[in-house]
Amino acid sequence: MRFELLQPGNFSEALEMKKAYGERARILAGGTDLLVLLKDRKLKAEAVMSLRRIRDLNFIRVEDGKGVRLGALVTHGDAAASPVIQERFPELAEACSQVGAVQMQNMGTIGGNLCNASPAADAAPPLLLMDALLTLASATGERAVPIQDFFLGPRQTVLRADEILKEIFIPEVPGRRGATYLKLGRRQAMEIAIVGVGVAIRLNGSDQQIADCRIAMGSVAPIPLRARRGEQVLRNQTIKDELIEEAAEVAAEEASPISDVRASRGYRLDMIRVLCRRAAREALARAQRKKQEGSK
Amino acid sequence: MKIPVTLRVNGESYDLMIAPYRTLLDVLREEIHLTGSKKGCDVGDCGACTVLLDGKPVNACLVVAATADLSEITTIEGLAQDGNLHPLQQAFVKEGAVQCGFCTSGILMSLKALFDRNSSPSADEIKVAIAGNLCRCTGYAKIFKAVESVIQSS
Repeated sequence: MRFELLQPGNFSEALEMKKAYGERARILAGGTDLLVLLKDRKLKAEAVMSLRRIRDLNFIRVEDGKGVRLGALVTHGDAAASPVIQERFPELAEACSQVGAVQMQNMGTIGGNLCNASPAADAAPPLLLMDALLTLASATGERAVPIQDFFLGPRQTVLRADEILKEIFIPEVPGRRGATYLKLGRRQAMEIAIVGVGVAIRLNGSDQQIADCRIAMGSVAPIPLRARRGEQVLRNQTIKDELIEEAAEVAAEEASPISDVRASRGYRLDMIRVLCRRAAREALARAQRKKQEGSK
Repeated sequence: MKIPVTLRVNGESYDLMIAPYRTLLDVLREEIHLTGSKKGCDVGDCGACTVLLDGKPVNACLVVAATADLSEITTIEGLAQDGNLHPLQQAFVKEGAVQCGFCTSGILMSLKALFDRNSSPSADEIKVAIAGNLCRCTGYAKIFKAVESVIQSS
């Protein structure tokens, strides 16, 4: 592992450097993926640009009535421990607290997790549930990309060679929303997900009436993805156990998992159904525990 | 080409000339000669290289040394104070929580970070804290026993 080290002191300097180096410079955030890839020679980089000196990329900010904004350098540990994230987006806190172990969570960043574009990235399904917007910045300007359009394939994203992920914006969801992320591995730490499923449910007044349902899955396709047809099964429906089972069946049909060292395709399909049902029931229970508007 | 880097380790400053791609683990062991942090897998799986960066456990094998110059680094060599072993170290000795010893310094660093935040962690919190530290000798039982003894005597 050999490279030139770039250490910009602020973000605009980083963008200028990225413009100059393009593909030749790899961005180093937490390093928990990048350094492993470089050491294993799965990736070559002439230069590595550390963002560590850029202090204003590490924040979790509530924007009243609009949502929550995260700097790209927020670590998994920061997000998992954040009362703002725990309260509003528990599925993201759950996903972050299941990444690797403490050491990984202290170094690895949510931004890095996304930019690495592993099909198994734990932060991706929760952010897909939330319709998060990613701010991609370059020396010539910024663009906001919905997370569902960000991933192109394993380790491939829409990031251009001169761009750096700057922020992640999570829009506020009104009403009684409950959500969870479940990760299946052979053990509870130091695991890459065999399957990861997140479900978010929003209730419409009554405890039994689902206004909106979202399902997102990881490790089941070349990119993390939403199960749009599965969601449709539950949206605007009165809750019934058979509907949850049907939604899980349909979600599994939308997946295209492979067989690899961690699990077979068939096992993954089975586990999508299981996790989907469990996550939907938990998301529903969480939404039901939230008080109705006006009855506080 | 080597670059000048100043690292703060266990309260001391070290002015070094190092290659920009060297890891913190290699620099600690080979330049500063603090060999208590071990190199096991060198890819962040085993936790034998765990050190504290500003009080938080990280895998030193996945830190580019030159980027750690803004942080306070604590290694196993910084755990004893004034010649007295840290209570966790004393408990490990007393309870026989060390066998081959290769994982021990990493586990102690993870546990120190836990105890700095929480002086009476639950059994689950202890397990989570060292989930990233592999021990292939002890089966962890004596490690947990040592940690329990520290909680009880505090």
